[in-house]
Amino acid sequence: MSKEVVDVLIIGSGHSGGMAAKMLTERGINCLMLNAGPIADVTKNAEEKPAHALPYRGFRPPSRLPHVFQSNEFNANVWVDEKEVPYTYDPEHPYNWVRVRLFGGRSLFWSRQSFRLSDYELKGKSHDGFGDDWPINHADLDPYYSKVEQIFHVTGNKDGIPQMPDGDFFNDKTPWSPAMTRLRTVAEKNKFPCVKQRRAEGHDGLASSVNLLLPAAFATGKLKVIPNVIVRELSVDKNTGLVNGAHFVDRISRREMSVKARVVVLAAGTLESTRLLMNSKIANSSGVMGHYLCDQTYGVGVTCSVPEARNGRGAKITGGGAIMPRFRNLDTKASNFLRGYAYNCYSSTGAMDARCFATYGQELEDKLAEYHGSGVTLSAMCEVLARYENHVRPSTDVVDAWGIPALHIQARYGDNEFNMARDAADTAEQLAHEAGFEVLAKNSEPNPPGYSIHELGTCRMGNDPKTSVLNKWNQSHDIKNLFVVDGASFVSAGWQNPTMTILALAMRSSEYLAEQMRLRAV
Amino acid sequence: MAMQRRDFMRAMLAATVAPAVATQMEAQAAAPTPTKEGPPAPGPVPWMRGLDSAKVDPASTISPEEIGLEDVRFFTQTQMDTLRHLSDILVPPLKGKPGAVAAGAPEFMDFYVGESLPDTKMLYQGGLDWIDSESRQKLGKPFAQTNATEADGLIKPWLRTWMTDHYPHPVHERFLTVALHDLRFATTNSQAWADTMTGKEEKPWMDLYWSPVQPDISRDYFRPAQHVVTPAKHTSKR
Repeated sequence: MSKEVVDVLIIGSGHSGGMAAKMLTERGINCLMLNAGPIADVTKNAEEKPAHALPYRGFRPPSRLPHVFQSNEFNANVWVDEKEVPYTYDPEHPYNWVRVRLFGGRSLFWSRQSFRLSDYELKGKSHDGFGDDWPINHADLDPYYSKVEQIFHVTGNKDGIPQMPDGDFFNDKTPWSPAMTRLRTVAEKNKFPCVKQRRAEGHDGLASSVNLLLPAAFATGKLKVIPNVIVRELSVDKNTGLVNGAHFVDRISRREMSVKARVVVLAAGTLESTRLLMNSKIANSSGVMGHYLCDQTYGVGVTCSVPEARNGRGAKITGGGAIMPRFRNLDTKASNFLRGYAYNCYSSTGAMDARCFATYGQELEDKLAEYHGSGVTLSAMCEVLARYENHVRPSTDVVDAWGIPALHIQARYGDNEFNMARDAADTAEQLAHEAGFEVLAKNSEPNPPGYSIHELGTCRMGNDPKTSVLNKWNQSHDIKNLFVVDGASFVSAGWQNPTMTILALAMRSSEYLAEQMRLRAV
Repeated sequence: MAMQRRDFMRAMLAATVAPAVATQMEAQAAAPTPTKEGPPAPGPVPWMRGLDSAKVDPASTISPEEIGLEDVRFFTQTQMDTLRHLSDILVPPLKGKPGAVAAGAPEFMDFYVGESLPDTKMLYQGGLDWIDSESRQKLGKPFAQTNATEADGLIKPWLRTWMTDHYPHPVHERFLTVALHDLRFATTNSQAWADTMTGKEEKPWMDLYWSPVQPDISRDYFRPAQHVVTPAKHTSKR
């Protein structure tokens, strides 16, 4: 019954696991990838249907997925079921933990926004005194970002904005609509940059681990994958203190098994990787594991209408999008918050949402007809400070469907987040007024923590093993053959969507690991 | 038989493999031909014979809503009267389209809210009770008997605009804003609404519906249904 010892065990198949698999196998290293969910085949598992043919008329199935605001009846089955894999939280302070366990993970479903972190984020403490600096800077990540941007076919322009570093983009030559030009003009009057979005176009409409990263790994013949297995805990060699494999349970049959490995790479998604480490009771000599959970607040902003675009005149005026990267707390100082936020700006040539009008019946239908094609939205992405008190820990009394201790998530937004959100909503309203837009709806209050699906931190990296879990190579300070390559390593969140940074870090870490294995140092 | 089984295994594997990884997984799936056949079928004919050609045309089926009368199980009679009138006011029939009542939206909401989490139930029950009591206090009659102008005076002041995923907080504003959204949604996504669509410019909301992907067959928890009828207990009391 002796089974082979795999070189590297990769847990998770999303962006970070896919990148690790690609980098390691391309360097001749045999990898085994475990994934907690099945492999979905859209041709077998999904079909086009009209909402009226579904039992709930398109509504999210009742009582299911109360924290996945993004879900509806069509997609309800792609998310992790909160009853199957529960988590706990203070009822006064809920957390939206939005998860996908299908092969490819959340790389199958993401917004494609592709930004680099700048040294304003990577060296945030040096800039404003709060939190900690990352042990790396933008120059360290730059070559990896560039490679990732090419693989993911990121479109955008070299705009020369220090707080949103340029990359190796495919130029975005789409024209600016008159509505977006008006917004850009008033932004620039206020000295706020307003430029084209940066977006991963991927290939054939998909920008995922399963089509951009894993095929290269499979092509080497050095990657094996086991779907539908849930890792219960990592195993440790008592003599060396190194990890030497993992215990897992078959998701469908409940059969318990284990596998031996020389190196373990965790890529299960920020909180699942941390949950696994905490349940394994390893790699936490610093005591900071689980702490400094952060993300971005979403939900704040304004929805507007361009008056000149109403009554059927929208087609020549509206349309297109833009990004207004962080403009607060760079050279000046805001009165009541640190860090900053960016606006996603969109203009719609289509129907307005009924939620933009506080009326009903015939009057509502008249408004919808009049305002059709005149929409502009500014929605803010606001940095959440990485604070020690926002943390996760294993639940003492709740387990998942396989008996694995659930995670307790304690995350609250504080004055900094609420003050920043108010500033973001007020400033968006001011910009809209200056551009001559009518503000139809405004929200100053963030959606619950986790809503952005950008949970970050909890195994932060750093140079000091006493205050960080990982070193600057995403390698455990305590256990040299253990790496965590997903968003858990983040020291701070920034306002940016984290995917490009997760990919760049996973690429950099895997390259380092391969070299260390070649030198037999790991 | 051995051949059939191998084909079956291939089909099963193909069904679980995404195109991007199909080649790799098929290579791994070159399982050895089983040397033993499975147990014989308990009858003269193999169970699965001929099933590969069986196909019922979905177009020949109808949804139960098209013909069935819906039971009202969750709301009280007064709440349901209030909800039906509120539905008629908020989403009336317009321009040849069915209103919420013709689309069966109130009965659907009785079902949907009845299956929902407690906060949704309380929002609807409390909201319907509140607007009925407002009507009785201010107009001296149940909400269900108000005319359009009277109802407007009770509804309009509380409606708010809102941004995605962020309904207004105060409870009355929240109830009426949620109810308006839900009733419109249940109406425009109804069979009755779809039946009035002309095709070219008007199309129902179509999207990719995901079935459960390899659900966990041995899970040992159950989701209790909301309306399980428990058999009467037989007691030995005399």
